Order: sequence, then structure tokens, then C-alpha cells
Amino acid sequence: MKARVPILFACGILLMIGSLMIVHAPIGEAVATIFQGSLGNLKKISGTIKEMTPLLILGSAVYLALKAGLFNIGAEGQYLVGACFACQTMVMVPGPVGVGLGCLVGIVTGALWALPAGLIKAFRNGHEVITTIMLNAVAANMTKALVAGPFKGKGQLVPSTAVLPVNSQLTPLFTFRDLEIPQSFVIGIVVVVGLAYWLNKTVAGYELKASGANPTAAQFAGIKTKQVTVKAMLMSGGLAGLAGALQVAQFEHRFYDGFATGYGFDALGVSLLVGSNPLFLLASSFFFGLLNKGGTALSLIGVNKGITMVVLAVVIVMFAAVRYGRKQVNHG
Amino acid sequence: MILAVSMQGISKQYGSVQALGNVTFEVEKGTIHALVGENGAGKTTLMRALYGAMQPDSGSITVNGQAAHFHDSRAAIDAGIGMVSQHYGIIGELTNLDNLVLGAEGGPVLMKGSMEQRANELAASMGFEFDWAAESSTLSPAGGQKLEILKLLWRNSQIMILDEPTAMLSPQDSDALYESLKQLAANGATVIVVTHRIAEVFEHCRRVTVLRGGVKVADHDVADVKPEQLAEEIVGGTVIERPVPVSNERSNIRLRIDALSVRGSKGETAVKGIDLQVKSGQLVGIAGVDGNGQRELFHALIGVSKPMSGSFSFDGNQWDTEPGSTRILEGLRVIPEDRHDEGVIEEWSLYDNSALGLQRLPVFRRLTSAMKSEAPVMAEMFKTKHGNLSDSMGSLSGGNQQRFVAGRALRIDPQMILAFQPARGLDLNSTTKVYQEIRKACDEGACAIVVSFDLDELLDFCDRIVVMCHGHLSEPKPEEARDRAAIGRLMVGAE
Repeated sequence: MKARVPILFACGILLMIGSLMIVHAPIGEAVATIFQGSLGNLKKISGTIKEMTPLLILGSAVYLALKAGLFNIGAEGQYLVGACFACQTMVMVPGPVGVGLGCLVGIVTGALWALPAGLIKAFRNGHEVITTIMLNAVAANMTKALVAGPFKGKGQLVPSTAVLPVNSQLTPLFTFRDLEIPQSFVIGIVVVVGLAYWLNKTVAGYELKASGANPTAAQFAGIKTKQVTVKAMLMSGGLAGLAGALQVAQFEHRFYDGFATGYGFDALGVSLLVGSNPLFLLASSFFFGLLNKGGTALSLIGVNKGITMVVLAVVIVMFAAVRYGRKQVNHG
Repeated sequence: MILAVSMQGISKQYGSVQALGNVTFEVEKGTIHALVGENGAGKTTLMRALYGAMQPDSGSITVNGQAAHFHDSRAAIDAGIGMVSQHYGIIGELTNLDNLVLGAEGGPVLMKGSMEQRANELAASMGFEFDWAAESSTLSPAGGQKLEILKLLWRNSQIMILDEPTAMLSPQDSDALYESLKQLAANGATVIVVTHRIAEVFEHCRRVTVLRGGVKVADHDVADVKPEQLAEEIVGGTVIERPVPVSNERSNIRLRIDALSVRGSKGETAVKGIDLQVKSGQLVGIAGVDGNGQRELFHALIGVSKPMSGSFSFDGNQWDTEPGSTRILEGLRVIPEDRHDEGVIEEWSLYDNSALGLQRLPVFRRLTSAMKSEAPVMAEMFKTKHGNLSDSMGSLSGGNQQRFVAGRALRIDPQMILAFQPARGLDLNSTTKVYQEIRKACDEGACAIVVSFDLDELLDFCDRIVVMCHGHLSEPKPEEARDRAAIGRLMVGAE
């Protein structure tokens, strides 16, 4: 049993090297490119931060659900729905008030999009993985239909909303030469720290963690586990919706067909890497942001971007193995 | 004296734990021999060695004068050794006959007719009666125990090992069981009974061996030893006395249960319209054989299940309509039946577990700092053995988890204590201490209900005993309130 973890680790590294060799990538150069492309200069660091921003909030969303014993694969869909409705709100109500309102709409619509999965899980014991996957598909098609129809901006040739008025677009909070710190990045950090505090220091957070870790014991402790399940899905969806709203306000400035680039799924990896301390969400999203940004640079030297996905997958599997191994030791 | 079993110098090490250290164990043929000791003393381990389910690191085993090397239980069974373990192995979905012959069918083709004939002969020889075509799930615990014994006879066992055979039986059924065992012994069989009930040793057994901490500490003819001495040998020191329980009861009724019915897990009515009033200061024991509605009653009182009808209140608060969390705020404290599933979160540290169930009390308003200060006190209350309070709960033994859970339930202002088998996994003195703490809370005005399947334990500690049988609650007549036999009759519904 004890040999399993190092063996898995070795296998993971071999797999990584092997996959790089299969695509005929010079290994040293590939790794250098990833780091060059993500951290090589201030502009590239800014790009990494941009990639990291939605992952901070989406990672928090998935992590919160995970602590309640729920695997919210629907973050992507909640993110899309939140972004779509938030964007339309910001188009209709310009200025800072509209941005605030848009974020609120993003939170509410994201939460509502997660609600059915929570209710079905709590009261019909339908698995949240199935329901949220299906809701993802509905979200993708529904937002597409909306921006092709009622939300379509005047003069847009493709399915897209109008571009946000300039006074609705969030500016960077801080700029130093090419380095940009977006406002939404700071909000993301606040979300992570807030979540860590809530989970570790409040009774509500304690009850949520107890429901996730042992629902029977939680019931005996007077915790209404069904309510906790619904609440966790609402909060998770709300955070995902907020991530969508901020993505529109800070970076995209419109919502269009193809808005989703898989942040919601990356967030699953982000939160799985975290373990028991929510503050590791910061490191985990940075790591994913780095690989996302570096992967783009990699594709420029002719290596398929998918290789970074392989790296991520290997890391997650190795990490899971390490945690599994630790659990075994505890019980022995 | 002919020895049926002779185990010499048996040792067994599990990791760093010496489970058995140079144990010698001899059993005379044709007797009932008791093996006693606390939880974890090595009784079951020693018997598993005899039964071939475990290979000792050193030592030799002789059965009926012949050296025996059992590499597995099959070899032991072939040598005429049979064992009924604590959680016995009857499969509810099979018929009684299927269960009887399972694993010893005697050939590739099942000959129902001849099997039933032999089954009937065996049952008749013991004075048992069985409906062989009935599903075993319909058996009472006593019936299951009898079927287990027949299974041993079916396999021609001459040496029978019974691990806590009376743990689930009423006093009458226990006595009947021992009558059967005596009859077997008289016919030349050898019976080894693993038990923690000292009374049984003196009533029914010829010899007794005491294990403590994996070492044999004494061997006696039962006639030559007194119960007090035996208890001290088991505990390894002074046994905390258990004086006759005296109630400090006040006149005010705190818990009032009216016509309460609760559904069981299979949809049946498990609790059938019971009434019970518990006064301030009372420690009430619910006696009864397992599965007579005690569990369902507890679940309703705690709030993990809803009653079908009826109501209950505490200090006038209508608990049946209040959420469980409110009941806890009003003083409900629970020592649940299954600490592993219901009482603790094994992945969490002892610190984190200290607030579980109490998290909404004012004490835990500042959660993390309160857990830091409360956990050590809770652990210390019943001397929970742990490496560190930040270790995971899963790293503790079952008995130590139970100590912690009991400490947690009794630490912060308990008013209504519900304890389900609180002694489970505890040694004699720890059991006494837990009950003493419950008694102390009652003396200060709280009240308590304890469920146990061990009537003697309830008689030792409770000032009032009620009985649950088939979902009904009954109370012995005042003049029989402490009469073991009378309560036993209520337990099996004989009155």
C-alpha cells in the first residue's frame, strides 16, 4: 500500500514526459516556453492574472459545494447564465450603478440555475453530477438563443449583446507599466478569504462541512442536512454567476455565443487540488492560470495546447493519490 | 481430567500492540468454561487462534490430546471446533434450513428431505423447535442464537466457542440457552463462553479464565472464587462500587410523551402509542431485547425522524414540532448508538468534533477558540486516550471515541440526556464513571433515558426501569420494580 503513492507519482511524470515526446516537443524548451509565456514579462504576468481571476471565484464556488459533499459540475452553466443576464442588465443600466446591479443579477441568476440541482439532490436524491451536467447543456443553448434573439445588440453581426458603455467597463485597479491588476481580481481574492473565514470560523460554515463529511452524524447534531444541501448549491451557483458578471464587466464587455472557454471545468481541478485549507485556492488558481497562459505560448511553437490539459490531469491524479495515501495511514 | 483444549504460550503481535502475550489456556472436556476480561483484553483474539481464523506468532495448540495446526477455520471445523461470533452469521433472506446447512451441505446436490430429517433430530435433541421453511429474518435474537448452536451441531462440533452469546437475549432466554449448553456438556461436548457478565460465570460455568491486557491473570474453579475477587482480577485494581441507585427525583415532570407512534425503517409501526413521563432527577432505563422500538423512539426524540402520531414535550416545549437544533438549545444531549456513524466525524480532529451537536450553544459562539478550550475538558472527563487533540477522530479506538462522545454529551449543561448503550466498548470502571456523571446531572435536576440490552447494567445504575417489547412500553409493578425475573418476563412479552 505504501509503495502506491511514489509509484503513481513516477508514473505521472513518465506520462507527462511521454506525452511531450509523442507530440515531438523538446521537453526542456516546452517547459521553458510555459514559464516564459506566463511569467516572462509584466504583460505576460498580467495575462496570467487575467486567466486566474475567474478561476478564483469559480474555484471558490466549486470548493464550497465540495465541502457540503456536492460535486458542482454545473459551475460552467451557472457562470454562463450569470454572465448573460448580468451583461444585459449592464447594457440596459449604464454606469457604476448598472455594474453593481449586474453583479447582483449575476449572483441571483447563477444561484437560481443551481437551485434545481440542489432541490433534486435534497428531496429526491437525484445525483447533482447528472443534473448539473444537463443544466450546463441547457444553459449553453439558452444563452445562445438569448443573444441571438432578445438580447442581441443593434448592429451585431454575430449572436452577441451590445458592447457595454465605456462607463460600465471596469478599469484596472492598478497599473504599473504593462502590469495590470484588475478590480475583479481583487474581488476574487476577497471572495476566497471571505469563504475561508466563513467555512472555518462560523457556525453555518461548520454545519455545512459537517453535512458534507458525515450527513448522519450531522443530522444527529441537529443540522438540517437537506437545507444545507440546497443552501450550498445556491451559494455555489451565486458565486459562479458573480464570476460571470465580473468577467463581462472587467474583460469581455459583452456576452456572445462562445463566451464559455471552460473556466467552469478548470474550476473543478482548482478546487480538487485545494485540500482542507480554502486559502490554497489562491495557489491553485495561480497554478491553473499559469498553465492556461503558458499553454497558449506553447501552441505558438507548434505544441498542441492540449498538452497542458494532460499536465493538469496528471497533477490532479497524483494529488488525489497522495491524499488517498494519507487517509489510509490515518486509519491504520 | 481430560483436556479438550490446551493452548500453551500463545503470543500475537499486531503492529506495536501485543494482543496476546504468552497465554496458556486449558479447557476440560465436557465442561462449560468461561473466558472473561474487559474489551480489548484479548479474549476474541485468543478464540480466533483456536478457531484457526488467526495464526499466533508463537505457541502450540493441542485439541483432544493431538497437536493442531489450523491454517484456516476450515481445518478447525474439521477437527470438531465451532465458533459463534458476536455478530452472528445468519443470513436473513435464506430459510432456516438453508442457514443451517450453509457451508456444510454434504455434497453437490441438496437433499432437502434428508436434510430436514436430520435437522429435526438435532433440534429435538436440544428441545428446540424450528419452522425450517421460514425465512431467518423472522427469527428472534434468541431463535438466531439457537440456530447458530444447531449449526455447530450440524457440523459435528465437539468444542463450541460462543462469543458473548447472551448479549442480545432476555434473562429468560439466557437461562434457557445455558440449559441447552449444560445438556450438551453433559453429553460430552465442551463449551467455551466468552463473556463480560460475571453473574453468568457464577450461575452456569465450571471454570473461569481471566485475561487482561493480552495476558492470562487467573484460572479458577468457579466454586473457589468470589465475584468481587473475579471483578478485581478483570479490572486489574479496585472496582468502583455500584451502590443501589437512589433517585433524587423532584415532583416536576420534565419529559412528557403522549401516545407516541413512530415508523420503523421497513415501514412498520415500530413504536406503538407509548406514554412516558420522566421527572426531574430520574434516570430511567429502557430494558428490552434489541429491535423492539427503542431505536425508533430515540430517533424521534432526537429529531432525526418524525413521529407518525402522538406528541412529546420537554419543560412544556412541544419538542415533536421543534427542530432538533432547538431541542439541543433547550438541553437535549445525546450519546448515540453508533458513535462511528452518528456521533463523530472520523476525518476531523478531536478539536473539530468537540462542537458537533453543540455548535449552536452560546458557548461555541466563538467557534474556533471555544473548540480549543472545550475539547481538552471533554477528552479528560472520561480519560479519552489520544495522541493529540488535533489527531483525527478515526485514529482513536472505538472505546476511546465513546469516551469522548460521552464527555461531550455531559460537559455543557445537559438537561435531557438520551444515551443508547452508553457502555458499548467501555471497561467496567469507565462504564460506572459515565453513569455516575449522568446521575450527577440528574441530581442537579436533569433527567435521563438510557437504552441498554444489558438488564443488569440498568439494574445497577437506573432508579426506574421500563421495558419495551414489540413497540409497547410497560413498567413493572411497584413491588417488582427491581425484580430481574419480572422485568425479564416483560422483555419477552410474557405478561
